[in-house]
Amino acid sequence: MKHQPSDLPGLPDLLEPAPSFGRALRRDLPRGVRSGLATFWSLARAMVPAYGLALILEKLGVITVIAHVAQPVMSLLGLPGSAAVPLVLGYVLNIYAAVGAMSALHLSPGQITVLALAILIGHNLLVEGAVLRKAGMSGVGFGVLRALSGLLAAGVANLVMKAFS
Amino acid sequence: MGQLLSQFLHGSFSLLLRVFVIVVPMMVLLEVFEGSRPFRRLVRLWARLMAPLGMTEEIATPTLVGFLFGLAYGGGIIIRETRRRSMSRRQVFLMSVFLSQVHSIVEDSLVFVAVGAAALWIVGFRLAWAAAVTALVSATTAAALRRRARRRPAVDD
Repeated sequence: MKHQPSDLPGLPDLLEPAPSFGRALRRDLPRGVRSGLATFWSLARAMVPAYGLALILEKLGVITVIAHVAQPVMSLLGLPGSAAVPLVLGYVLNIYAAVGAMSALHLSPGQITVLALAILIGHNLLVEGAVLRKAGMSGVGFGVLRALSGLLAAGVANLVMKAFS
Repeated sequence: MGQLLSQFLHGSFSLLLRVFVIVVPMMVLLEVFEGSRPFRRLVRLWARLMAPLGMTEEIATPTLVGFLFGLAYGGGIIIRETRRRSMSRRQVFLMSVFLSQVHSIVEDSLVFVAVGAAALWIVGFRLAWAAAVTALVSATTAAALRRRARRRPAVDD
């Protein structure tokens, strides 16, 4: 088949010959730095508002209420009820908002790891569901799969960690 | 109020600093790596690793891109590849299952490592989990397809 150049900007063209890492570094470093900084900027824009929101919710006592309601479910994962706030922010928005909200809470390193697993597997379900729909898949089905699978993975990780500590 | 503001400024700064120091250098290296020859070698190795999950070589490549760079990227690759040649729906489905569990492994993991998560768990365990979920779905759907083929031998998928 005749090779067509990539028509989607920013995607690697896997059919073209590639240089060694050293050559690629000299050629692509400026583009890499630009892209790295752009990534950081988009992270910052999502994280800082979520962090601020979580601080305000905490001061208003809203997080205490949410924590109380979510306590029975979250305790299955060895997490405090307040961990539901970053989890839900992650489902609806993205992991950066979740990380921002997470850093306003007081979690142990083990709890951070367990919560991170649940959020890493299930997050940004609306936008990424739309991406999956474009590939002809069910966005809702995959959203449910990811949320449940993430909670299950977090539960298993929590049990394994407890068993070895 | 002033105390809340100072907590917000201080917290935001330390959060952003940690993310900047850990995420940006790795993202730069990843961007460069993607255009280099070692990346092509990784693609071939990856295709062999994905075979037990029921994936063919042609779907393993976009899966690796999504795994490293993210679902939007991986999705873009799928759309491009499906335009270039027809890809079976089952293969696209298997890739979607795997990538729905784990994608953008470098950036997303680093963001959580920056706030104190254990790298081994969120990378190693998550990858093993994704492989197990994909293998399970692959085996289940393969069995279902075989059953359907036995009932209606004339229909091929």
